[in-house]
Amino acid sequence: MATVRIPTPLRKYTQGQEEVTVDGGTVRELLANLEQSSPGIRERICDDAGNVRRFVNIFVGDEDIRYLDNLNTAVKPDSEISIIPAIAGGHTA
Amino acid sequence: MIPEPRIQSPPDGGAIDAAAVARTQFVVLGAGGLGCPALLGLVAAGARRVTLVDDDVVDASNLQRQVLYETADVGMAKTLAAESQLRLRARDLRLTQVRRRLDARGLAELLEDVDPAATVLLECSDDPGLKFAANDLGLARGIPTVIAGVQRWRGQIIAVVRGAACYRCLYEAPPPAELAPACSAVGIIGAAAGLFGHWMALLAVRLASARADVRGELAGSLHALDLRDMRVQTLRPRPRPGCPACAGEGPELDVSTARCAAR
Repeated sequence: MATVRIPTPLRKYTQGQEEVTVDGGTVRELLANLEQSSPGIRERICDDAGNVRRFVNIFVGDEDIRYLDNLNTAVKPDSEISIIPAIAGGHTA
Repeated sequence: MIPEPRIQSPPDGGAIDAAAVARTQFVVLGAGGLGCPALLGLVAAGARRVTLVDDDVVDASNLQRQVLYETADVGMAKTLAAESQLRLRARDLRLTQVRRRLDARGLAELLEDVDPAATVLLECSDDPGLKFAANDLGLARGIPTVIAGVQRWRGQIIAVVRGAACYRCLYEAPPPAELAPACSAVGIIGAAAGLFGHWMALLAVRLASARADVRGELAGSLHALDLRDMRVQTLRPRPRPGCPACAGEGPELDVSTARCAAR
């Protein structure tokens, strides 16, 4: 199973786990299976049309899936998938 | 006689040009959790020309991470309190206070008269839209820009110059407000802000020191660090075909930063 690194804001869906292992031959399948084990997480990553949100990036290894086959990018059992949302904070009023 | 702090070049030489740092105008957006350590790092490295933008006053809740301020500063304008502290470290500092909250148009006006060849922009605010506006305007005007964000234990940082992948190549738009909670809502580890603020200063002085033709080597990579597991991820996106910021279009100026950045 592939390893998915979960960013801090989404760990509330994974019972605090920083990494989860998920089955799936493509990123799309992997996200579907991730939703099964961590309900609610997919809508934080994908919009209503199923596309990856514009402020989120998904990397398979070091490669941005937008430059591969997007959600159809192949995932191997030893792949590491990173979900990297934009961090906005800095100055707290 | 009060001694003047001495600026020492690092022993490897070359990476930081103290004379170039001293003549560069550093424009710092936000005097908060990132801005305070960034300013300390800049001045320690020899920066003497700073424009500091912030409309806020010091609050007691700021003090755990906004390290330029002390309890006696509560209620004082941050730009004023920051200048007072920094002058203790560098009496020849020329700091211009800009007490206003910027949107894209305000930032465009602020950058209108600067010399792009002698300016570095640091985006230290908590406004997602302003990060994108800084990215877009920095590229449009040819001003090297450092953008960072920090929440809880983690943060991200990227340097943006023409020719390298930019923040908008990586993220096409900022998160909507409901998915981008303010730091005050999610919390921030003071030392995490300190680390990223100093990292911003380091990148900024290196950009100021580097010849224009080699600045690209410092830019285009997003470093993401989670301080709980100390794991750094360095993402090297390719320039995104059709990226409007890379095309130099700049942000839309007649809308709020949040909207302009969401195009």
